[in-house]
Parts: sequence; C-alpha cells; structure tokens
Amino acid sequence: MLSANEIRKVVAERTEHQKGTGKKVVDVREELDRLEDRGEVIVHRIRPANRPVPLTTLFGWTKQIPTDRLWHHKSCGQCGNIPGYPSSLLWLMNETGRTYLNEPHQTSCTAWNYHGTATSNPVALAAVAARNFHRAYETDHFPLIHCGTSFGDYKEMRKLLVENATVRTKVRDVLRKMGRDLVLPEEIVHYSEWVHAMAPEIVARKKHSLTGVVATVHEPCHYYKMVPEDAVYDDRVYAGQRPAVPSGILMELGATVADYSTWYDCCGFGFRHILSEREFSRSFANLRKIRPMVEEAHADVAITSDTGCVTTLDKSQWIGKTHGLPYMLPVLSDVQFAALALGAHPYKIAQVHWHSASAEALLTKMGIDWTSAKAEFREYLRSLKNGAAPELLHPAHGEIENYFAINKGQVLPEEVPAASRVPGATAPIVGGRSE
Amino acid sequence: MNPILVLGGGPAGLSAASELAALGAPTLLVERESYLGGNPVRWHYSLLAPDLRPAEEVIGALLERVEGDARIERRLSTTLTKAELGSHGYRVTLATADASETRDVAAVVLATGFDHFDSRRKFEYGYGRFPDVVDFKELEGMLHDNKLVRPSDGQRPHRIAWVLCVGSRDLQVGNPWCCRLGCVVSIKQAVEVRQKHPEVDAYIYYMDIRTYGLWEDLYWKSMQEYGIKFIRGRIGAVTLAEGGSRLLATGEDTILSRPTEVPFDMIVLASGMEASAGTKQVAELFGVPVGPEGFLTPRLTDLNPVDSGLPGVFLAGAATGPKAIPDAVTEGMGAALRAYQYARD
Amino acid sequence: MSIVAHLPRRVLSLTEEEAANPPAMELTGRRKATGPEHELAETIFAEFRQDPRHHEFVLGCLNCGECTTGCPAARFYDFSPREMLQIAATGDATTLWDAMQEKIWACCQCYTCNMRCRFGNDIAGIISVMRELSVVHGLESTRKTLAPFGRSLTLLMTVGTQVSSDMIQPDFFRDWGPFATGSDKVWDVSSDVMRKAIPSDVLQTTRSSWEVSVQTSLELFRIYEETGVLDMLRGLDPDLTEMLIDIIEERREEFQDARGRFAKEIAAMRGPVASFTG
Repeated sequence: MLSANEIRKVVAERTEHQKGTGKKVVDVREELDRLEDRGEVIVHRIRPANRPVPLTTLFGWTKQIPTDRLWHHKSCGQCGNIPGYPSSLLWLMNETGRTYLNEPHQTSCTAWNYHGTATSNPVALAAVAARNFHRAYETDHFPLIHCGTSFGDYKEMRKLLVENATVRTKVRDVLRKMGRDLVLPEEIVHYSEWVHAMAPEIVARKKHSLTGVVATVHEPCHYYKMVPEDAVYDDRVYAGQRPAVPSGILMELGATVADYSTWYDCCGFGFRHILSEREFSRSFANLRKIRPMVEEAHADVAITSDTGCVTTLDKSQWIGKTHGLPYMLPVLSDVQFAALALGAHPYKIAQVHWHSASAEALLTKMGIDWTSAKAEFREYLRSLKNGAAPELLHPAHGEIENYFAINKGQVLPEEVPAASRVPGATAPIVGGRSE
Repeated sequence: MNPILVLGGGPAGLSAASELAALGAPTLLVERESYLGGNPVRWHYSLLAPDLRPAEEVIGALLERVEGDARIERRLSTTLTKAELGSHGYRVTLATADASETRDVAAVVLATGFDHFDSRRKFEYGYGRFPDVVDFKELEGMLHDNKLVRPSDGQRPHRIAWVLCVGSRDLQVGNPWCCRLGCVVSIKQAVEVRQKHPEVDAYIYYMDIRTYGLWEDLYWKSMQEYGIKFIRGRIGAVTLAEGGSRLLATGEDTILSRPTEVPFDMIVLASGMEASAGTKQVAELFGVPVGPEGFLTPRLTDLNPVDSGLPGVFLAGAATGPKAIPDAVTEGMGAALRAYQYARD
Repeated sequence: MSIVAHLPRRVLSLTEEEAANPPAMELTGRRKATGPEHELAETIFAEFRQDPRHHEFVLGCLNCGECTTGCPAARFYDFSPREMLQIAATGDATTLWDAMQEKIWACCQCYTCNMRCRFGNDIAGIISVMRELSVVHGLESTRKTLAPFGRSLTLLMTVGTQVSSDMIQPDFFRDWGPFATGSDKVWDVSSDVMRKAIPSDVLQTTRSSWEVSVQTSLELFRIYEETGVLDMLRGLDPDLTEMLIDIIEERREEFQDARGRFAKEIAAMRGPVASFTG
C-alpha cells in the first residue's frame, strides 16, 4: 500500500497541476480571512475554550476539531428514526465532560430534500446553512454536524458563499431581514471527526472487550466524495488511503475492522429512493453491501457514520429473506458502538430497539447483559406510560424556547470589536447542559 | 576538451554517449542505477512493439556500442548532486553511496527518462490488494521469462483483461496526458500471449486506441490474426467474483451503453509514464523549465526539441515527455550533436 | 442504372422550411417535439445552457464510462451518468426534454461519479440543475415523480426537517419489518411513550425529527419566500403551497400571541429575538 505521505505527495502534485491549468483547489479557509478583513463575513473561529485537536485532511491540510462547547447540528433522519444515534453522541459527551447545546432553534440543512426532489436552489440552501451558522455563533458554541449530507452540503455552501459574490449578497440580505448576519465557521466539522479526535479519552473509558468482534465499515459517500479535500485521513487507518473516520475509533477500541470489495459503493439511500423507490434501495443495500460484508468479511456488525446509510443498510434487510438473503447483520453508527463499548445502556441510551436487524447477538459477543437491560427498559417504559418523568441527558428547555430562539447574554455581532470579531468575551449560555 | 556529461543510461543516454564517442568527444556517462539500459532492463521488457523484436537485442546493441568504447567513461550507482555554470561548461559534483567528486564538463545531455505510474494510486483497480491484478511492466517480466501464471496460485490464466490509461489521461491522479505507448504495448502483450498460449482469451478495455502512424498495422492484426477482443469502455472497479478465486471487472461498454461485469483470471494495468525522480532532480539542479505535467520543457518544441535554452544543457528521450525507444534513440543522437557543437565552439 | 436515381428527392434537397431553419445538430430518426411542448423544451434548454453552473460543472468528456461503472442507479435503471453528461454537453432541446421526463430522477446523488470522473466534471451537480428546471417549469412527469413527497415537503417547509417518527407507518413501510416504527407492537406502549424514552427533550416529539421553535420555522419560511423556493413549489403543487401558507399564517399568529405573553422576557433581550417579527 502507498503510505499516507506518498498519497499526500500525489495529491499535492495534483493541486499544483491544477494551479498550472488555472483550476487549483483553493483552501477556502484562507479566502474566509480575506473576506472577513473586507467586512463581508464574520468568521466563527475555534477558540481555546473549544479545546481543539488538530487532524489532517486528504490534502495534508491541518483541520482543527473543536472538542468542547459544541452546538449540535442534528440530523433529520437520525432523530426521526434512529434516535439512539444522537443520544449516544450526547451520552459520550457527558461521559467525557464536554459541554454542548442541543436546541430547538435549528433546522436541518434541507439538502435531503434538495438531493431528493430538487425543490430548492443554491441560494436557499446557502441561506439555510448560514441561518444555522449564525444561531450557533450567537450562542458562542461551535457547530458540530451530525449528518454526512449536511456536512457535504455545508462545505459546498461555504465554498459557494466564499466564491460567489452575488449569492453572498443575496444571502446576507435575507439574513439581515431576520436580524441575523452572514457567519461562516472556520471549520465544518462532522461529529465522527470529533469521535476521532476524542479517541484517547473514549478508549480510556472502555468497559467491554471487543476482541473477536468483526466490524465492516460503510464509508458514507457525502463524507468524502463531496469536497474531498476536507475529509480527514490518518496514516494509521488504511495507511491513509481511505478516510480515517469511522474506522479509526473501531480499531482503537480493539475491534477487528475487516475489508470487503465493495467498500467504495454507496448504500443505496438515493434520497428520493429510500422513500419512493425502495425496491432499488433494498436491492442495492442487500446485494452490494450486506452480502459482501457477510460473505467476504464475516462481519458481526456494519458500522457507518451517516443517517441515511444506517437507515438504508438496516431497514432493507428484513425483506431480504424473501429473496434468499437472510442476513440481518446489525447496523450501528460508530457512536452507538462506542457508547455500548463504554457501558452505555443498550436500550435507554443506544436505543437499539429502533433498528430492524437485531443487535442482541452482537451485544452478547461484546459481553453485554442485554436480557436484564431489556427487562429494565420494559419496566422504564411502563413507568413512562404511567406518567413518570423521563430520564434526560441534559436539562429540558423552558416553554419560552418553544417559540423564541432566545439569547441569554451572548455576544452579538455588532458588539464585537472589529479587530477581534470572535465571540466569547462574556459568560456562555446555558441551553443544554452548559456551565 | 573536457568530457561531455550524459546523465542517464537508458536508450536516449546510451544513444547520445555512443554518438558523442563516434564524433570523437570524451564522454562521461552517469547512471544512478547499478546497471545500464534504463527501464527496459529494469523491468525485463520482453518483445518490443511493433516489430516484436526482443528488447534484449535492441538494448543489447546499444549497450555493446557504449561498453566497447574506451572514450566513454561509465559511472554507475552515481548521482549528480550539484551543478554550477562556469566559463567553459559546468562544474558538477558526482556522488556515490560513500564518496563524491567534482568534475568539469564541457556540456550536458539530460537523458533522465521516466518512471512508470504507481498503479496503487488508482485504488479502484485493487493493485497491491489482489495479487492477480498486475502492472503491465510485471507482465513484461513474466513474458520475458516465459512464465505466464497467476501470482495468486501459480496457475495459467484462462482469461486476461488489459486496462489502458491507468494513471494517464486522468485528472483524478493529476496526470491528464497520454503515455503514447500503453495502447501499442498492451496490444503487443496480448499478441505475445496469444502467440505463446492460443488457449488464453484476451480482452482489451480502451477509451481510444492510439496506435499512431505505422503501428496501426499491429492493432488490425491483433484482431484479424490473433482474435483479440476490444471493448470500448473502462473497467472502473475490480472486486472478487463469487467464490473469491477470480477477479470481477465492472465497467461500462460505452458502445452498447450497458454495464458489463466479467470475471477474469488476471487483469493487467497499462500504467502511464511520469517524469522520473531523476528528471525532477536535474530540473532543479540546472534550472530547466518544467511543464505543468512535470517533464522538462525544450525552449522550442518544434524547431529544436533537444535544446533546453540554457547554455550547454541538452535534452533527450522521455525526460521531455512520453516517448518510444526509436524516438529516444533519435533524440539522443540530436542532443549529442548539439552538445558536441557547443563544446567545440 | 444509377443508385441516385432511386433515392427519394427529399434526401437530396431540403424543403423550403428546413432550408430557412437549419437545425444545429440533426440526428436521423430522432423524435421531434412539436407545438407547445417544443416551445417549453426550447425555453428549458436555453435556461439550462445559461445557468452559470453549466459552464462550471460540464467541462468535457472522454466517454470512458467510469462514472457509469460506479453508479448505483446504473445498476438497476436505464440510466447512465455518462449519457446525462453527454446530453448536458452536446444535446439539443428535445434530447434534454426527454431525459428530464424520467431519467434524471434515477440518480442517487451519491457523488461517486464526481469522485471518479477523469475530466473533473460535476455530474451529480448538473443533474440537480436539470431537476431544478423540471420543478421550476412544473413538468407533468415531475409532478408525478414527486407526488409521494407531499408529507415530507410539508415538514420540510414548515419545520425544516424531512422525516418524523409518525411518518414511518407500518402500512407504508411494511418491507422494513416490525421493528421499523420504534417497535411499539413489540414493547406494548404507544409511539408517544417510545419517543418519551429518548433521553433528550427536543427529540421526544413524533411530529418532526426534533422540536423546532416557532421563530426558527418562521425564519426558515422567510428564506423560502425570499429565495424563490415557495414559487418553485407553487409551480409544482399550487394546492400544497396554499396549505403551507395557511399553516405558516397560523404559526405567525401563534408567534405574535407568544410575544405578548413573554413580552417582559423579550424586552430584556437583543438580537434576532427582539427584532424578528415573523
């Protein structure tokens, strides 16, 4: 295999070549600085309070990953039908002592809709992105993107807003009509990058041995095929030939990451297809992904790091038995798997019961007593039915927040001195479980 | 007269050195490897296209001329580490693993050649992962040694595919140029395979066939006389076929506009040509302009393709771009003549 | 006897009409659009070629087929990203029109073609441009294709998330198995209770992916109004659009009422909370 440095050399040569033909891949982060100097955008910067960890991208660029004071940019698919995905991430943050906001003042990126039905346009997508960016900025918490598509879309939109003055002006005008301004984050960060940066702290809290657990990774397309220069690679993961996430954390936790020939293929989600062309989605998921994972790699679990991929790979399997594909390979996100390894409750936290392919055989292999956990969860459901208050990972929001994206004293753009337009001079806000 | 330095002992360098000696000029031939002959010797090339003459015969003749001539001082396992322009040529530093020395030379011929593209960089093809995906320079060695077997199990392959343009004409790996030789060499290899083993099925996947000039004859014959099948379209991914013992090549037949998935016993990648590490190094040492593709750029590509434009520095062979052996030999002669004129004046 | 003598005259000479309007590229046997369909096809084609993204996304093509090789849709549909790019680069109005009837909707938007393309084309991107145009012009085929999306479009336009747990009903998602809807049948509690068992208040709703504050939905709707998305949707489904406007009107009233109720708290705040009036 080519070493990561050799790959980087190749890619560096490629960038150099593109410079020669006037098509050099530019680092938009440098452009951001220039735009900020001209007063065109506000850059949401990563501060020491975000406790950043540097990682490396495909192009060998350094990418700072904030690990604290984070604003959860949730994923519509995760929250809608695999809620153990976000709850495991929140749980891992509580365990590692990280603070965050998980607010009702967020929209999705709306790119699922765009890629599925095209009932949007780039200006609208950019404005939606910028509205969420501004909200994160005014709360002085750095956005952490849960979804692969949102991650890819936001990078495309940041690029568009940096490179296209017309779109920039239009979006700024729209935002100003609602009292907001054009804010672009210094880094667009996918939650799996947070997991990779936090690996030492996560691994230190491991409770279950993963020896003998074979995991196959499905790499979410929109994590690394959109704006590829910004995806994180690591010499220690496939010698830097494939993205570092989510394989890295699985290796660090001691699982065996097994390769299979169709690793490069998409899951079959298709945006539109998962809702209205499911014959396609399930055929692709079963034939191109699940079958090679089971038959070539003898996997115990498929791990991925995007909403659509978990959904497609998991939900498509049940019908597979009518086509002679009776696999039912459990499909989990990296954070669910990591939380389980750290002793999280399989039902209350990892919420494995929302998945179609049962994770129970996997839990047994991981040495987790799921039978008593299941009985406990059944009891918990009964108590909820009888009106008991639910157990929460962070304090509930007050009624006012059903209506208003309230400010609790955070720094607003106009109050920041022009020379150091960064938030953070005053006490941070409490929304979720921040200080 | 101080000697004329020829850097690189491949076809172009050998041709330049023997031509200089023939003109009566003292010649210093420097080669970084421990042997002369360049890539054809390094990779044990088998027959050369289009005449199907053994490479050993062709390179052997060049070597004979150089090795039998006392006016040519040969320095193997030696690299150039420094070059300074003086009033009569260059003062250069030559280094071996354990020593270095300074020499004054009257002129320089840069014949530092190319490297084959490292096919691992195009990872969809599984080179380095599946043993039966081989690079076409490795197949040359197999044909040369008359050992056509699958690396995985030592068995004779029944069906072989050639994939053209691997690391050529591809912006994804930063190499948008054509290697000029992948087509004719792959066709030659398929012909060679079918000559020796008529029972082996041969398929060539291509985007365009560029057997330019008189080489077209081999392309036609390969179909007419050797039954080689051409599929227009590229293999885009190699996986394992069901059962795991064969390779599955997935592609699009772009003439029939339909996806194809064909099991093969062996897949041969026609890897492209890039400026060699030595070419890049001498570009820096002498300050020769380099084009966006990484090859040395002559001052006038049309009127004088062997002049660098710098005083006393002349260019020959694949250092200025992908080239076949006859072209490299011709350029070696041209560069020798120009270097000799420069040194004499 | 000369062969030419047997050929119909039509081949040898153009009609007056043809001579007056010579086609840019005429393919033998190609379907020819006529009437209003032809006019619309020409309009769409002109808009397509004038879109600034066209120039940026479509660079050229070696017709190598690697895009189609990696394409998940090409495996199961009569679809090829290579063909889409050819149509984008060299096609004419009718060819584009035909591709926009059905083929463009096969694409999974996975971007595998983009990552493989030797020429650096943005194939997934140019397909999106074609799709946008089919929505803007409310093509009949597009309405049909997008008919099942009323529910998710409603969610998207009103709260800005695309899926909710109450959308995933067993009747519609029978192929997903008994666990798909939060397994209330297995656990013997309602889906509301299943959601309550998620340990975060914002995730406990069944009507949206998460709870979205009224201000946030109104800001989003303002974006749709200002950036032409609402107009796009009106072309596609006027009834749905009117319904959305009604929903948003109600939310605006709800927001105004809340401003009254929380007047004291709001007065103490600055920024969007204070200035945004819905």
